[in-house]
Amino acid sequence: MAKETYRGPLERINDFSWRIPKHYRPGMHVDGIVYADDALIESIRHDQALEQVANVAFLPGIQVASLAMPDIHWGYGFCIGGVCATDPDEGGVISPGGVGYDINCGVRLVRSNLFRRDVDPVQTALVEELYRQVPTGTGRGGKYHFNPSELRRLMEEGVGYLLRRGLAVESDLEHTEARGRLPHAEPDQVSDRALARGHDQCGTLGSGNHFLEVQVVDQIFDEQAARTMGLEKDMVCVMIHSGSRGLGYQVCDDALKSLRGSPEKYGIDLPDRQLVCAPVDSPEGRHYIGAMGAAANFAWCNRQLLMWQARECFETIFGRTWQELGMNLIYDVAHNIAKFEEHTIDGRRKRVWVHRKGATRAFPPGHPETPAAYQQIGQPVIIPGDMGRASWVLVGQPGSMLQTFGSACHGAGRVMSRTAAVKHAKGRRIDQELAAAGIIARARSWKGLAEEQPTAYKDVDLVVDVVHKAQLAKKVARLCPIGVIKG
Amino acid sequence: MYETFEHTADLGLRIRAASLDELFADAARGLFSLIVPDLGSVRSVEQVLLDIPGEPSEMLLFDWLNELLYTYETRHLLLAEFNVQVGPQGLTATVSGEPIDRQRHQLDHEVKAITYHGLKLDRQGADWLAEVIVDI
Repeated sequence: MAKETYRGPLERINDFSWRIPKHYRPGMHVDGIVYADDALIESIRHDQALEQVANVAFLPGIQVASLAMPDIHWGYGFCIGGVCATDPDEGGVISPGGVGYDINCGVRLVRSNLFRRDVDPVQTALVEELYRQVPTGTGRGGKYHFNPSELRRLMEEGVGYLLRRGLAVESDLEHTEARGRLPHAEPDQVSDRALARGHDQCGTLGSGNHFLEVQVVDQIFDEQAARTMGLEKDMVCVMIHSGSRGLGYQVCDDALKSLRGSPEKYGIDLPDRQLVCAPVDSPEGRHYIGAMGAAANFAWCNRQLLMWQARECFETIFGRTWQELGMNLIYDVAHNIAKFEEHTIDGRRKRVWVHRKGATRAFPPGHPETPAAYQQIGQPVIIPGDMGRASWVLVGQPGSMLQTFGSACHGAGRVMSRTAAVKHAKGRRIDQELAAAGIIARARSWKGLAEEQPTAYKDVDLVVDVVHKAQLAKKVARLCPIGVIKG
Repeated sequence: MYETFEHTADLGLRIRAASLDELFADAARGLFSLIVPDLGSVRSVEQVLLDIPGEPSEMLLFDWLNELLYTYETRHLLLAEFNVQVGPQGLTATVSGEPIDRQRHQLDHEVKAITYHGLKLDRQGADWLAEVIVDI
């Protein structure tokens, strides 16, 4: 399979969106709609992501359009940056590929009372402490061990379980999407193989694009929203990006295997095997939904335990409790997930399964699922960028409900393949380059750092601009990294 | 032989061999070379026997690599030697390696999964050719 430029039709809708018409390929039920400006669409054309947007339009029961965010890039089956809603009443399907291997991969942002000047004298010591204490990289278990019955409760109860174990506080739950628990989780649907892969991984970061970063608020764009979140210029924050680790990967793998025969069984015509799916109301569909929910709850617990360890590291370095340091969770969002949500489609309220594969929920002010503290400003949307430039906090806008089933982008999106990035980094020391820019980075592998170098990604500012102009989410603050730990 | 090929977010493995036995062994080496680039640093101190049913097709290749990844993750066992016999009903293999030793093993990638996307196994002239994309 080679990297090919997309040559299919692409019609401009306005300055920041494009249409792949459903007549492009027989079998598409709806159009594809891609959010991008002129510059981004040029880079998007250079791989198979747009073809994948068209492929997703084949899924039975898909509503309105197969959507793609401006950080779209070539995935497997679904493009990364894809959003698709299916209606169970119209034969709608659930597709594990529309969630991804890393079920409930997501991001959380933690504030503090510390400012840049407080951290400067201990910057390296702080990053070293985080790197020592927080497990990163492949083949590394964590310090939290859960026996099978504890793991079962953790997958059933989500972050609430950790609250009862003294590893979370009530405000952590309030500031986590879905309060850190999908109610349809069925731990019994999680295989022994998945449990074996995940039992020692809750509270570990993993590798690839996962990270824990110490960041500083660089610019504020919306004073009121920033104040509501407790953010100020020069304030030190912690951003954590990880997911459901081996447990979630295995749940996805098990589901793809059990669905191998589904296209024939249910008469579904698919252009890519990786898109396998089953009707929501089928034994296979219900099985996946239960297991996916359990893995999603595991992922929220993973990020909670990563944050807990980060708080402990700050306590060690600054000699004060995390409460004294004001290290409150601003918000935690999932960006690889399928949720059963209510949306207005053609003037009618409908419950649909919204698949977000590399896309973030972006609910507006006043939405019942937006936490009480953020009812006036909208749900925080946390967008990690790359480790050399910036990350963002936005808030969801009414436009997301009208256009994208309440979704926005999830990151910068890769522009360079991993192999190309490694070639590009030959003879260079990425950690030293970052240090020269004031960023202390620690990683288990040189290659890992090379693959994740800033230039491998699109400029996140450009991606966020599109989301802001399309009124999916509004800019609140830009954050720059000063410390990075990776696998 | 195996080589990696470009995929924007993940990594592709392309494997060419004169026989299916060699192709499956090379694919396994390719997979573990992503996890531990210096396969020579992995000693053969533990042996695992694997028996995987299925017709010799790309699905058998998928199941094989998947089983190796599972063995690595659950036993923290790096594998570097692969002796594989592919038959009409499936494969039997003797694989060996050693538990991770962070003093000696420089680890690179965490492979999340073997994917079906672009998965293929075909004859190409006298050789076999396979491609598989892994999720990083």
